[in-house]
Amino acid sequence: MKPLEHDLAVGAAADGNTKLNVIDLHKSYGSHEVLKGVSLTAHAGDVISIIGSSGSGKSTFLRCINMLEQPHSGTIAVTGETLKLITDKRNGALKAEDPKQLARLRTKLAMVFQHFNLWAHMTVLENIIEAPIHVLGVPKDEAIARARKYLDKVGLKNVEDKYPSHMSGGQQQRVAIARALAMEPEVMLFDEPTSALDPELVGEVLRVMQDLAREGRTMVVVTHEMGFAREVSNHVIFLHQGRIEEQGHPKEVLTKPKSERLAQFLSGSLK
Amino acid sequence: MIDLNLIIERFPAFLGGTDGAPIMSTSDGLQLTLELLGLSLAFGLLLAVPMALMLVSRNKWVARPVWLYTYVFRGTPLLVQLFIIYYGLSQFDWVRDSWAWEYLREAYVCAILAFTLNTAAYTTEILAGQIRNTHYGEIEAAKAMGMGKWLMMRRIVIPSALRRALPAYSNEVVMMMQSTSIAGLVTLADLTGVARRVFSDTYMPFEPFLTVAGIYLVMTFALVWLFKKAEQRWLAYLAPRKH
Repeated sequence: MKPLEHDLAVGAAADGNTKLNVIDLHKSYGSHEVLKGVSLTAHAGDVISIIGSSGSGKSTFLRCINMLEQPHSGTIAVTGETLKLITDKRNGALKAEDPKQLARLRTKLAMVFQHFNLWAHMTVLENIIEAPIHVLGVPKDEAIARARKYLDKVGLKNVEDKYPSHMSGGQQQRVAIARALAMEPEVMLFDEPTSALDPELVGEVLRVMQDLAREGRTMVVVTHEMGFAREVSNHVIFLHQGRIEEQGHPKEVLTKPKSERLAQFLSGSLK
Repeated sequence: MIDLNLIIERFPAFLGGTDGAPIMSTSDGLQLTLELLGLSLAFGLLLAVPMALMLVSRNKWVARPVWLYTYVFRGTPLLVQLFIIYYGLSQFDWVRDSWAWEYLREAYVCAILAFTLNTAAYTTEILAGQIRNTHYGEIEAAKAMGMGKWLMMRRIVIPSALRRALPAYSNEVVMMMQSTSIAGLVTLADLTGVARRVFSDTYMPFEPFLTVAGIYLVMTFALVWLFKKAEQRWLAYLAPRKH
């Protein structure tokens, strides 16, 4: 794929091309601050990999973007629309002021989870058409056509009537990707999508993600797969103890790390 | 010895063929038992779904009343509940003067009311337990897809909980079927009521009660079979993969 040239500096000015703009996100669990001001800007077609050791806050950051976790301060804007946040009296963190706005923005931020999180009582087809029909209001026949298109894209055949529990992890994750694609989102969030898979199943999921990146989809990927970060993404963010320690083009960041910590992390994880 | 002739002669009475009339000519016996069971289960389930949602609510003013309700109805015998409703309510003038008295004076209505409230309490607990057991990841996926709270409940949580509740609910249905046998104590001629009638006519206890026990057994088998079919259909996702 053609690497994108534009600058992705922290808090880069949002323009019409900006799909996702997260500024200065803070998050604490009790007195422990897990995110100490993390920002991220994704333009159309960007594939941003977030790497870091466990406990660095990378998953928490991703989950704050669609408010599955409540940040304590910061702003989140999707395609230029800022999510209105107010203080949640229950815990002092931020919550969406208008649940309808949050729901609408979430439909633009499809998420793929580490543990797939498919709805177990639904067949593959039902999983994929559920949200397009009931959240987006897509007519059923159109939703089914969409589902078949995206199942084909993730390379699954003859699985429509299967239940998730009757499939391999790699197949389930590809169904989850098809489910996310069927929302036709602006940005796709991947939360360690291959971490729960057997090693021999990782490749099939990574290949699908690589295809999506080539199509020009905007993706934010929390990952341990350095190969993916290096080959597929055009921007890498290294998180350490809740801060961005280093970021930039993967060729720079992953081959010539400036910080000691990143060098340490890479030497421990690069194969 | 068992008088087979008596069993054969009186068997139609259990199917509504009282006093030599053809079977099903009255609603006595099997039909009444099935009506009591079917109606109380249907009303009970309709009550149980919203009450289960209330019981799992984080708001204690919503959850507490339901908790108290299931505690009271699961903590007292069904027969006592039936007697309180059938004999007890008539003590109050305001009940007798109200529009509801027209219905509450009927043993039939009282029995359905008692059975409904009782099964609703147990079913609420079964459902609430399964709602609490919903895999958290499935709820996160629903949220991440932009589902609101009620849509998520209606489309994901409740359908999933209802399916997982099937095995426990089938026990509740079988227990409820056998519990309808107390309806005879408030003058109703359900299966057991008919057996008691035959007993008092003939002073032969063994034959009518053995007959009725056999009918209950057959019904239990039928219910268990139905639920097995239901589980095969709606719990297929939990079954081992078939190749």
